[in-house]
Amino acid sequence: MRRILPIILSLISSTILAGPGPLSPAELKTLLARIRENRITQADFQEERFLHLMKKPVVNSGKVWFQPPKKFRREVKGNSPSLTVSDGHQLWIYYPNFKSAERYSLGKRSPLDSVIAAINSALNLEDVENTFAINATKIGNGYELELTPRTPSMKRVFQKLNLRINDNLRAERTEMLQLNGDRIVTSYSNQTRAPLPTSTFEFTPPPGTDVTTPLGR
Amino acid sequence: MRISDVIARTVTQRRTLVWCSVAVLALGCIAILVTQLRLDSDVLNILPASFRSVAGLKIYDREFEQTRQLTFALVCAPDDVEKLEEFAPVFADKLRQQSWCTRVLAGSPMQTPDGIRDLQSIAVPLLLNLEPGVFNETISILQPQKIRDRLHRLHQQIEAGSPRPEFELAFDPLGLIGPALKPFAESTAIEEDQPLASSDRTMRVFLAVTNQESISAFACQRLMRQVNAFRANAREGWNGGRLEILVTGRSAYVAEISLSMRYDIVATLLGSVVLVGSIFFIGFRRWLPLLGMGFSLLLSCLVALTLGLLIFRQLSMVSVGFCAILVGLGVDFAILTFGRYQQARIDGQSHRQGIATSVAKLGRAVFFGALTTAVGFLALILSGSMGFSQLGVLIAIGIFFAGLFMCTILFLFVRERQPPLRHDWVFEMVKKYVRWSVERPAPMLIFASALLLLLTVIGLSPVPPLHFEASTRSLEPKNSRASRALQAIMHKMPMRWEPVLAIVQASNPQELHDDWQKIAAHWSELQTAGKIKSFSTPAALCLSPKSMQRNREQLSEIDFQTARQTLDQTLDTEGFSRDAFAPAFTLLDNLQHLVDPNAPLPNWREKLPASSSWWFLVDRYFGQDPLLTTGFVTTNEPVSTYAQRVNLGGDLPVTGIPMTLSGWSYALADLLPWSHRQLLIISALMAIFDVSLLAILYRNLRLWVIQVITLAFAIGAMIASMKLLRIDLNLLNVLSFRLVLAIGVDYGIYVVLVWQKTHEIEHDVAGVVKPVLLAGLTAVSGFGSLVLARNPSLSSLGSACAIGIFWSLVATIFFTLPAMAATEPKSSSKD
Repeated sequence: MRRILPIILSLISSTILAGPGPLSPAELKTLLARIRENRITQADFQEERFLHLMKKPVVNSGKVWFQPPKKFRREVKGNSPSLTVSDGHQLWIYYPNFKSAERYSLGKRSPLDSVIAAINSALNLEDVENTFAINATKIGNGYELELTPRTPSMKRVFQKLNLRINDNLRAERTEMLQLNGDRIVTSYSNQTRAPLPTSTFEFTPPPGTDVTTPLGR
Repeated sequence: MRISDVIARTVTQRRTLVWCSVAVLALGCIAILVTQLRLDSDVLNILPASFRSVAGLKIYDREFEQTRQLTFALVCAPDDVEKLEEFAPVFADKLRQQSWCTRVLAGSPMQTPDGIRDLQSIAVPLLLNLEPGVFNETISILQPQKIRDRLHRLHQQIEAGSPRPEFELAFDPLGLIGPALKPFAESTAIEEDQPLASSDRTMRVFLAVTNQESISAFACQRLMRQVNAFRANAREGWNGGRLEILVTGRSAYVAEISLSMRYDIVATLLGSVVLVGSIFFIGFRRWLPLLGMGFSLLLSCLVALTLGLLIFRQLSMVSVGFCAILVGLGVDFAILTFGRYQQARIDGQSHRQGIATSVAKLGRAVFFGALTTAVGFLALILSGSMGFSQLGVLIAIGIFFAGLFMCTILFLFVRERQPPLRHDWVFEMVKKYVRWSVERPAPMLIFASALLLLLTVIGLSPVPPLHFEASTRSLEPKNSRASRALQAIMHKMPMRWEPVLAIVQASNPQELHDDWQKIAAHWSELQTAGKIKSFSTPAALCLSPKSMQRNREQLSEIDFQTARQTLDQTLDTEGFSRDAFAPAFTLLDNLQHLVDPNAPLPNWREKLPASSSWWFLVDRYFGQDPLLTTGFVTTNEPVSTYAQRVNLGGDLPVTGIPMTLSGWSYALADLLPWSHRQLLIISALMAIFDVSLLAILYRNLRLWVIQVITLAFAIGAMIASMKLLRIDLNLLNVLSFRLVLAIGVDYGIYVVLVWQKTHEIEHDVAGVVKPVLLAGLTAVSGFGSLVLARNPSLSSLGSACAIGIFWSLVATIFFTLPAMAATEPKSSSKD
């Protein structure tokens, strides 16, 4: 279930930072406040997954929608398409090519919950100061944020999360280093901020879909 | 010369000889006790050994590793949950470093790399152990096309972003481990209900196996001293708020129960001595005879313990608690004999004459009193419980010696020159009552009859009911820390009741495998039919030499070279890293190695590392002898009635497979009829003995009928009081009925025998009623002191007996006496 991280990480798409060089705690606080005021709700993404199982990185692209605090939707295009939808209570991953879907229940204190909680904290930047140790640096017109998990539950999920924020204070690149050394790099473009209908975060498996629950609950 | 005269002369004129005899007796007893005393601390020996469920509990208690397991729980405030999560590994490491700790489980083995690696290590033997059909289907995955198809599918799923294939490939790169472990995962599904962290994250549970060599009470006490020392320092490194460290488990319970037994013995004995002594002093205002009474009782205890030890070779710690009961019973004799002696002295008799009169007048009553009580307690032999049998025999021996010593040694402590009491207000009060009730018996008789009849009706009526508590709590000490820890864990964790144990022992591995296969299939049907909630068995871990041999032969048909080449090529084609699939090649090598018929068949016991957390699961199923196993059945609801036990006893076993069903709840439910039999049949038998003895003793129908009614009233009022005071019956306090019968009948014997013989009603009857009154009050106090005991069963035994004896006393004084006066009128003045 730790491998769900790359999917969810793709959602990281909205943050804006400010300040020159290494930021002081006061500057970081101001920057986080400004990013929170400017959250995006959708973006295009391109993802590279460096997995120890594969010789070459697995490359995906698609679109992501996000609504704080816990709802998101991610569509992967290409030869191996997939759809990931979370309404905050359940997480669905649907594979049209296999006519199969996986359902994960959230809120059962599984490692998956830690992943979701970690990512949501990062995306919302709500209470992020307590959950992560943050090092922020001004790079050119943007910012580089290095988030290191503070809590044991998140430490079990990943080692480090880097966010690059552009001059519009929006996330343009994330890089997550997992415990087993796997790395997921996601770049975002066409970030927009518009209201989303509720149906965006709802999913019903099409008839004939083989539904499994890999975590058994 | 009469015996009473011989006793009087010996005690008064040969005091040195008597003292020397007493010293020799005491020293002899002490020498035997010091050199040969062996205490049986097994709490299970309180239960009747003839029940298979009890035998099962003993087997589980002695033969399975769980006996040496302790459960620790860390509990923090809700604000500190993150800190607790961080502190948990620190605590687990500290626990591992303890000299008494051999293994620690701090989380699900599946969530740790070591746990997954250990599971992979036992895959080969479990694969070979699959049923031949399943094995063939599983092994077919090594066909080249299937290898290619599987890896292609998994690659596509990875491309699509599914986390599942990554997990699957990391755990089972070849696709054989999952099917091999499937039976193990299915048969241990019950374990999923046992998480190691509470849902609110304020509690973390750690399981630790200790290296206790012995499971005796003293070994448990030693271990718990070390554990408590560890607990005192285990908070180092914790920087949050209040952190509670709880511990429970068999050793924690046994240590506490054995310590509480010691406390119970000391506290109840001291309480009993203080109360009894106070009443004796109030009644007679003499210290030396009080000392004599204590000395005689102590000597009785010593002799009873010694003879008990010689008979049984070892004594149950429970039965050693008989001292408090013996004090409560034996004191009656002292009060009676000394009371009669004092009365004789008041009447102007000499010291020696007083002793002779006391023994002559009451010796017979004391003898029969001791006989009825002894028989009452000897009936405990019928209980089938070693603990209760010993208790009965020790008291029977003790009470006989108490009777003997109170008629002899007690008088060594009475000063010849001490003047008799000038003004005895207790005696005067009793005399007035006797005079009044003999002259005008009707008012008291009517009032007492009405009250006792009403209580008897309440006692015998179904409403309000008298509950029988058959829970394990009735055997736990009050405020038990181990019990509170368990309750806290049960409260925080998903509630699940104790499963029924099914213990199966086979003579060889194949038989064990076949037995559990049949049992698992049968229980699966029961689960489908809704007769049980779930079950868990060692079926998957019981290796079948036959299946393994047959499956090994099947392996020889696999072309491992082709499988290896196909895997290699497919990894390249699909872009997988060969390094990540190294375990798949190792597994192929291992399987190929097994094709050699000379290679020994693998055994998971040898493959699973000794430090593996999986042993916590495995040890639940296997005893020290690998052929001794147990399965667990979770019932639809907790087992609390005999009907449930009967149903389970009918449903769970499989024809032809010897199986012992057990578990605490199951065993207690199994014992319910036994307890009821204790209450009804054995008490009834004793009542029959008592009334027969009374018939022989009195040879008077009217007096006999009055005495029988008195006993019925006493028991009826006792049951009514227990109902009204909401004192439940339990496994131990059912004994109280026979105790009350034994003691209650004594009071009647003392009064009726004097009534039959006396020509000086007021003088003689008052002379016995006063000691009976004092004896009754001391017995009530003696048994009442058991309320101080931490063991709820012992405590409730004390309350029940105190209530019963109180009503026996009331019925004897306020019903028997006026009834005798009404039916056999005698003049209250000197005839």
